Amino acid sequence: MNNAELIVSNKAVSELSKHRPLRRYLNKLRWLSLCLVFAMLIILPLLSVYQTYVASHGYRLLSPSGKHFYDVMQFFTSPFTDDPANSLDAVKGSTWSGNFFGFKISDPLAVLGQIAAAADIYPAFLITALTPILFSVLFGRFYCGWICPATLLYELNTNLAVWLQKLGFRPGHREFARYLKYFVLMVCLVVSALTGTVVVAVIYPPAIIGRELYYALALGGFGAGTVFFMLTLLFDILVARRGFCRYLCPGGALYSLLGRYRLLRIQRQVQQCNDCAKCNAVCEFGLNPMRDDFGQECNNCCACIAICPTDALIFSTRVTDISSQGAGHLGPKYRKLHLANTNNICDEDAKA
Amino acid sequence: MIRFPDRLILKNWRRGSKRSSHVELGRDGGAPPSLRSGVMNRRKFLFTMLASTVVAETVNPVTASAGAVYSRQRYLRPPGAVASDPFLARCIRCGQCAEVCPNESINYFGLGNGLAAMGTPYIIPREQACVLCMKCGEVCPTGALQSISRTRESILEKVRMGRARVDESLCLSFQGNTCGVCARACPLGKVALQVGYLEQPHVQAGCVGCGLCERICIQMPQAIRIIPNYA
Repeated sequence: MNNAELIVSNKAVSELSKHRPLRRYLNKLRWLSLCLVFAMLIILPLLSVYQTYVASHGYRLLSPSGKHFYDVMQFFTSPFTDDPANSLDAVKGSTWSGNFFGFKISDPLAVLGQIAAAADIYPAFLITALTPILFSVLFGRFYCGWICPATLLYELNTNLAVWLQKLGFRPGHREFARYLKYFVLMVCLVVSALTGTVVVAVIYPPAIIGRELYYALALGGFGAGTVFFMLTLLFDILVARRGFCRYLCPGGALYSLLGRYRLLRIQRQVQQCNDCAKCNAVCEFGLNPMRDDFGQECNNCCACIAICPTDALIFSTRVTDISSQGAGHLGPKYRKLHLANTNNICDEDAKA
Repeated sequence: MIRFPDRLILKNWRRGSKRSSHVELGRDGGAPPSLRSGVMNRRKFLFTMLASTVVAETVNPVTASAGAVYSRQRYLRPPGAVASDPFLARCIRCGQCAEVCPNESINYFGLGNGLAAMGTPYIIPREQACVLCMKCGEVCPTGALQSISRTRESILEKVRMGRARVDESLCLSFQGNTCGVCARACPLGKVALQVGYLEQPHVQAGCVGCGLCERICIQMPQAIRIIPNYA
């Protein structure tokens, strides 16, 4: 009887995995989003260089490589605009603070840092952060997973660590307290207030990447921020997987706090879970999706959804996690616990 | 920002190492290594460090308090910049002002001017001066650069990057040759820079400090410079 049940459930599993619901592709979509943002951070400085070339009316004075660059940029921009020197100003900036067709968006951390440094609220700047704040309240730490240009590099860095592991190198897997990053955020704000400068701008990886890409492509040279970012990459490989995002990032701390009671969160359907723990293995943030431990740290990266063989993980609109669902109903632990019960039921069925 | 006088430390370091090698060589006839002189050296070294720190903190109050170094090079902030302290507090180093700058005038500080000023925009007028297009103030999200409309009146009224000053001993026109290049480069005309006898430049009250005169000056070094206005 038990075996028959198992076969049935396995059949159900295989059918489920054939079906492949759309949410399983969200992780791929996220990679697309990350790549698009990163591409934008590369294209915008190039556009800005092209604009200065156009504004200077000096095509003949350009070097051969400059002329080539000019031609390529002209080829790509001419369908969209007749006046690149002015109209390309419509899209500027990075994820730290940007301008999209007159709609200015800034990182909430920038606003918080400025408020701490200046001890003063500048309303026009505060307004630019409202959209990200609203999205964070609704979707939690989605910025970290879906937009942050550093995330792309950090995830590639994780892959690098995996390759290194195959070559015999052992990456670090230390665990620290999760609340360390809130402490870092607090220290950053206090230091900002004491020194009167926005210190977070110097140590916040997405801000650094946006800036350094611009420096490298338009101004000709990397700055000190690159060194700092390389150090964080090393930290991730040598000390803890995704260690900077998990334990040190002040922006991640702020987004976690904003998204503590987020409306949309990943939830485990205990009836479909078979306790295979693949979700725990792929979670880069070291969370425990198999036992409903998402908390405010989850960055909605959907890796657990993509890997779940029984599609037990779904998005739900709840303000909190369901923390005590226990073992998955398709798993061995649950079966062992309820073996006696099911046998009794079967006996009763047989009698009837 | 604490800066140690490198020479002092190096000198002590060298002396200490020499002595120790001296003892190790055994020229003293197998005398025990003079621990006492080593302690004295360390004490002296520590004292030098402490003293140099105290000196650095007291002599240079700007570096001691704000952390930003204003004295190392002469630079301008982009037009519409608020005073230096609110500027550092407001600027979030997003880099958009240089991205919109059509003249590539705006550049960013590295670590050279202190951590506080890192990533903030500056203009070195001799390298590339400001053309007063006012796009940077428009794009700045934080109010570190105030938005100023691109009209002659509002530029004259609100832009305060600095003020030009003529070095008459270097200026060609003051040396008897007619030049007048700076006056022709000035975007604001007579209210900012008036020319007199032999086209000698005379800076007027209207000068906003865009630096085009300094950029264009044919003398090397330049005879006209912008004195920055950070306040």
